[in-house]
Amino acid sequence: MARINPKTIYTVAKKEFMDNVRNRWIIVLTIIFILLIIIFSYVGGAGSFGNMQITTLGLLIVTSLLIPLIAIILGYATIAGEAQSGALYVVLSYPVKRIEVLLGKFIGLGSVIILSIFLGFGVGGLFIAGTVGTEALSGFIGAIFLSIILGLLYLSCIMCISAFCKRRSRAIAGGIILIFWGMIYGSVIMGVLYGAGYDFNDFATGDVPEWFFNTAVFSPQDLHQVAVMRAFNIDTISMDMPGQQLEFAIPEFLNMGMILIVHLIWIIVPFLLAIYFFNKRDI
Amino acid sequence: MVKKTIMCPNCKNQVTIEGDPGEKVYVTCSKCNTKGVFTFPSDKPIAKEEAGHSVIEVSNLTKKFKDLTAVDNLSFNVRKGEIYGLLGPNGAGKTTTIKSIIGLLHANTGEIKINGYDLKKEDIEARRSVGYLPERIAFYPNLTPLQTLHFFCELRGDDRSLATPLIKEVGLEDAINRKVGTFSKGMVQLLGVAQVQIGSPPVYILDEPMGGLDARWVKAIRERIISLNKQGATILFSSHILSEVENLCDRVAIINRGKLIAEDTVGNLNKYLKIKPRLEIIILGLNSKIPEVIERLKGVEAVDAKDDTLFVTCESAVRSKVITALEDAGFKIDNIKTVEPSLEEAFVRLVSKDDGGA
Repeated sequence: MARINPKTIYTVAKKEFMDNVRNRWIIVLTIIFILLIIIFSYVGGAGSFGNMQITTLGLLIVTSLLIPLIAIILGYATIAGEAQSGALYVVLSYPVKRIEVLLGKFIGLGSVIILSIFLGFGVGGLFIAGTVGTEALSGFIGAIFLSIILGLLYLSCIMCISAFCKRRSRAIAGGIILIFWGMIYGSVIMGVLYGAGYDFNDFATGDVPEWFFNTAVFSPQDLHQVAVMRAFNIDTISMDMPGQQLEFAIPEFLNMGMILIVHLIWIIVPFLLAIYFFNKRDI
Repeated sequence: MVKKTIMCPNCKNQVTIEGDPGEKVYVTCSKCNTKGVFTFPSDKPIAKEEAGHSVIEVSNLTKKFKDLTAVDNLSFNVRKGEIYGLLGPNGAGKTTTIKSIIGLLHANTGEIKINGYDLKKEDIEARRSVGYLPERIAFYPNLTPLQTLHFFCELRGDDRSLATPLIKEVGLEDAINRKVGTFSKGMVQLLGVAQVQIGSPPVYILDEPMGGLDARWVKAIRERIISLNKQGATILFSSHILSEVENLCDRVAIINRGKLIAEDTVGNLNKYLKIKPRLEIIILGLNSKIPEVIERLKGVEAVDAKDDTLFVTCESAVRSKVITALEDAGFKIDNIKTVEPSLEEAFVRLVSKDDGGA
């Protein structure tokens, strides 16, 4: 077996970047991203602009939805769509290996995600730095880094789906399910908790088992939210209950090292599956 | 050191260059400054095997899609320097065959060799020998044709300077900075024709290259195919335009339901099927009436009349008898033409026979 040619990977990556950086949906989402940071900075600061920590945490649920959305828009058609349209026919008739094409696509599309996140957080961060100052800057940089990882994670997952699905429409449906999974995961795991014999009162008494929190590893969006809190040195999760506010310590298991390892697994395993599906696939 | 005079694809200016066999020389036209690359023909064989061999070898190729056998134990060879046509009705398995040769589809069984390279073991080398134009071609909508060809030049490991002359050659220079997403179907196909020539591969595989193009571009592509073949390229192409295949191809393979049902030159196919030439006789005042004298003549296989033209299919030995019989019967013959049987007739007869028809 011939070795992988880095020049081919670079060529495909450059083409993917050039072709997708002008994607109007990505441009729109990036602008929304910038505006949201500025708006949340103001809303989070309750009448005056909030610092980087307040803004980032206030936006956490939105960014953990927006970034996967960018990745899915970029990646859903990269195999299924190009195979359907015929663009992939020509590329794969050249002296290239499918793994080189896939790696090039990941790097190229990943670069667009990184640029979008840098622009979103960067412009917003500069605005906050200019109005409020650079308080909690290290946490903010950590949040940018974690957002990039989240974007790459979802890119890997959607590329796997795109390599598996024969049609573009099925790939986008897969992407929607992927985002939906992150949104409903909390309810699912709560159902499992109830099924295991626990109930709502256990939250107040602190009897909720640790696995309930640790299962966040199965939901990249939840994991990302925990990671960003860790980046700002926050070790507790607050939960509003009727009549009371509960606070739980984030389990030691979900330390930053473990979170990064789990993120990496979420990137590598789908990507390996994408290679398998793409190599096996009839184009 | 070898001297060669080449023509600028842009302004047709003659430029003389010098180089060693196999050397790649960068050329700038002295008149219009168009840049390009010329590779002097190597004195070594470009293929693994010597000239005269089969450049594309397909042996026992079978491709199934679930329960459907799209290509069924198909074998054929394309010889170096020939234009080989792949013909068949819709759904016969032409595109599946071509996509399997390129490696886009994974064949269930069979062996494919391109330029001596086994597609399974030496896929990169095999594909380096091929320029492929798919039936359904698409490029990246946000890139310009120049960026598109730069991408493919780099993908093949060739110099980007090849792109501009190729774009000019296919007549897309006015759209060189437009996004491909704004192109018409014909323009995209022309960009495909430019793309396929990158690196001047020794083998071209063209799947319905004239599909969806108007007559002007069909002519341009036909001329391009002839020109590439004259330069020594081997061409495998599929088409449903029988006249194109007939005019261009040295040999033809007819496939039906995934199986090879005939393979030969157009002339030999007709001989094999015993399809006879047809006499077209213009008779003044015929008025679509078939003369009785011809209907009764022994050796006449078929006869038809339209306006002033009488169509008679018969053995060559009977032709003179037809003319004499008409003259003796008082018909005034204005012109006589012998029309050789067309590929269409052979194609229809072969496919009908394979489908269980007459």
